[in-house]
Amino acid sequence: MAAASAPTPSSTAEIAEAPEPLPSKLDNSEPDCPRKTRPGLKRLALTFTVLFSFLLGLPFLLKSVEIYRSPLPFREIDDLSAAVESIPLQFPCKFRAVFVGIGGSSFDANELSVKIEHQMREIAAKDSTSCGACTYNSSVCVVVENGADCFRSDNDFNWKCGALSELNKYEDSGEYNDELFDEYLHSLVDESDSRGNGNNVYTMIVVRREGQKDVSAVVGKYRHGWIVGRVSEEEAVKKVASVFVKVFVNGGKEEGSISGEFMPVGADGKIVLSFNLLNADPHDWTYDWEFQEIDDNLLAPILEYLKPLADISVESQVLYHTPKSSFSYWDETLGSYIFTTKDLPFFVEGRAILQYVPSSTECPLQLQLPNGKISKSNGFISPMWGSVVVWNHAACLNGSKMETRVRHMISSEDMRKIFEVFIGQLRQLFGLKSKGIFRDASGTMRLLTSESGFTEWELDVLSRQHTCFNLLQCTTTLGSLSRLVQSLPRMIIKEEIGEQVRYSLEAAKLALSNVSAGIYDASAVSSRRARSFAEDAFYHPSMMSVSYYSFEHCFAVYSPFFLPVALHVLLAALREWKRYKQESRKFKAWKSKKD
Amino acid sequence: MATSFKFKPLTISILLLFLYNAIASSASGSSSTTMHTNNWAILVCTSRFWFNYRHMANTLSLYRTVKRLGIPDERIILMLADDMACNARNKYPAQVFNNENHLLNLYGDNVEVDYRGYEVTVENFLRILTGRHERAVPRSKRLLSDEGSHILLYMTGHGGDEFLKFQDSEELQSHDLADAVKQMKEKRRFKELLIMVDTCQAATLFSQLQSPGVLAIGSSKKGENSYSHHLDSDVGVSVVDRFTFYTLAFFESLNMYDNASLSSLFTSYNPNTLMSTAYYRTDLYQRRLEEVPVTNFFGSVMETIHTDSPYRAFSNRYYRKSKTEMPSDQSGGGNRRALKDLDILEELADPKLNVRPLQSTYLLVHEG
Repeated sequence: MAAASAPTPSSTAEIAEAPEPLPSKLDNSEPDCPRKTRPGLKRLALTFTVLFSFLLGLPFLLKSVEIYRSPLPFREIDDLSAAVESIPLQFPCKFRAVFVGIGGSSFDANELSVKIEHQMREIAAKDSTSCGACTYNSSVCVVVENGADCFRSDNDFNWKCGALSELNKYEDSGEYNDELFDEYLHSLVDESDSRGNGNNVYTMIVVRREGQKDVSAVVGKYRHGWIVGRVSEEEAVKKVASVFVKVFVNGGKEEGSISGEFMPVGADGKIVLSFNLLNADPHDWTYDWEFQEIDDNLLAPILEYLKPLADISVESQVLYHTPKSSFSYWDETLGSYIFTTKDLPFFVEGRAILQYVPSSTECPLQLQLPNGKISKSNGFISPMWGSVVVWNHAACLNGSKMETRVRHMISSEDMRKIFEVFIGQLRQLFGLKSKGIFRDASGTMRLLTSESGFTEWELDVLSRQHTCFNLLQCTTTLGSLSRLVQSLPRMIIKEEIGEQVRYSLEAAKLALSNVSAGIYDASAVSSRRARSFAEDAFYHPSMMSVSYYSFEHCFAVYSPFFLPVALHVLLAALREWKRYKQESRKFKAWKSKKD
Repeated sequence: MATSFKFKPLTISILLLFLYNAIASSASGSSSTTMHTNNWAILVCTSRFWFNYRHMANTLSLYRTVKRLGIPDERIILMLADDMACNARNKYPAQVFNNENHLLNLYGDNVEVDYRGYEVTVENFLRILTGRHERAVPRSKRLLSDEGSHILLYMTGHGGDEFLKFQDSEELQSHDLADAVKQMKEKRRFKELLIMVDTCQAATLFSQLQSPGVLAIGSSKKGENSYSHHLDSDVGVSVVDRFTFYTLAFFESLNMYDNASLSSLFTSYNPNTLMSTAYYRTDLYQRRLEEVPVTNFFGSVMETIHTDSPYRAFSNRYYRKSKTEMPSDQSGGGNRRALKDLDILEELADPKLNVRPLQSTYLLVHEG
């Protein structure tokens, strides 16, 4: 028996891994090798301590690989979007009108007020809702003067009755001039403002004079305009309403709403104007200009005036060899070289505001418009890029010879004319017209020009439009940013980005409150800030999709370190636990047998 | 008989209802009302080393074409490893050819490379697309497009299934490209985008795109290779790829005033000569290809508006000494077309001046 069983232990001894006696492995309940002592806890304690220390360390590990994401105020961004995008942003504006020589009772004043409002709403309804328009909710204050009588529809308007009775004498004396009358009216309108908030009030003055055949309609440099002449009540109401809506609110443009291409202001609220003088061929002649003088005298005041809209900085340069890349042809009847509007896109490579002096082979060079006429200004703009003026100097027109190799200075007179075209082009780049006339169904109006380049009411129009545009851009940018951040839950969001978003939201709220208060320039400034912060946050260079850690990446990096060790620790703990259970069962069995 | 007649109006009205719904839904998905104002081109060559000569030649040929058709350098972003022209193995130093007849030196004067050498990385490429540059990056290296821009994106190099290899060290995945395009669309950095890819299995690179307004064409489908056109035995390497070669052949016959359409370009690729199938996807693009001229992407557009008159406000200021200035109240001559200033009073009297509506070709002039 023993011999028969002897080979088996030896063969099994080969495959058995431990040199332990076999009975304890094969059969637990066999009392061949009973356990007389209670199994110890040391091994168990050891393995479990290691396991627990691993488990304790796990939260620290997860914390160390946590992605830092600055908390963004998503709810507030959504609220802002709802506030700005749902309804077109509109500003409170106040309108006033004075009628001299039309109507004669307080009933007339109220009636005129109602008629004007009605007409304004009609005109405004035809125009599609543009960004930055006025709400037409407040009533129009009307004063009616007839001889010695004076009636008001609203007591807020402190117009000095009888102030215009001198007008006849003044006009007949021959000293009348639109600009002087404008100044006079400005002083009157200023005085009449009882509440002192002259910022968003527009006034129209209608003087009916039987003796005058033609009607002169002029819009001044400030915030008022006038119509003088033989004009009936109906016509006067129509004209006044159309001036209010089309000129004071919409800026005198004949088209509808402003589109983004007339917003030359960059995302950070700055514009760089670069003035370049290009000489086509230095062999023929070279010109230079005294830009510093122009900058000091003319340009700086204009740019100062535009400060609420944008921070404008100016640079200038003179280039001495810039040939044109398109061709022009010689026209005998006009006596000059012609380039047409079709050649314009290939004119010159470059940007900003250019003044081009053509070479002798192409002098004089004139621009022909599609209707066959020759351009008076010889210039054109390209929105979002800049403008070009072609200047043919006097010697070229005379055909006289010029000294080469000498730098000729452009005369101050020519500089002034060129500069006027530049300013006209700058106005066009902002979306206003360079011409001083406004034409529509009710007639023609003359728009006075201002030495600051832009009149006060034009600046109001631009402020409103820029505010609206900036706020819309700001909310879309913040919305895109919040969608982006939420769609990439493992992308790092730096603290800086969170700060910029918060500043942007603050500035946007300030802008909205300024809008409802009707302060145009402050709202333009704060909307600009809001937009620039939002753009900075969105375009922060750290938010690149290639540089965030996906979960797979994290797993792939850390698992080779921890997974094998963790596996062994876990298995060891399990094995010890199993062994402990076995041993204690054996001990219990022996104990029960003993008893 | 009577019942069938009764059914007819019912079916007709149901059909009309469906038609109306179809029209309404397609109208809601139509493109925005912004105007096309400028064109940009991003030309990327993702290979380096001498044996990838043809990729650099591809990119430079397209650069030359796009410049000839009018896009200025400031609106072209050219990314090249730029190690061919002055390579020690180049028998013709400082010259790069795309044809064995050596008639055209692509690397002549007037080549402006924006990202060269080791700057051509996936990160920089994605930064260009999304616009997230470091503060110090100069303007010439940025894509300064806006919502009226049409962008041409051309990429060439070695590619595979859903990826494109960059400089033999990293890869651009198709989902990264799709993600970048999605962000561009959100931020309205383009109106329309044309992606041309000349690599092996090119069509897989744009398979994940989902943004509207994107048109894409690749030189080969999934599982196919793209081949080079011919070997220049003098230079010693292949000098141009087939897809680019036939694209250039199409454009060589064009000048800046032509208006061949995109569909004629896309259908000009013959699978037999290409030795692969040029695959394009138009499902994200709203316009019909027959109506889109190639110069919408490959040429230049500059919307121009004429300046009516100077802004006369400075006659009293500025130089007190000049006595020759014309006071603005006096009217100038009648209809003389000389270069004298005509002033506002004369304009008021002229009945022929009227407001012209905007002419809507891609050259827009407003005159009034």
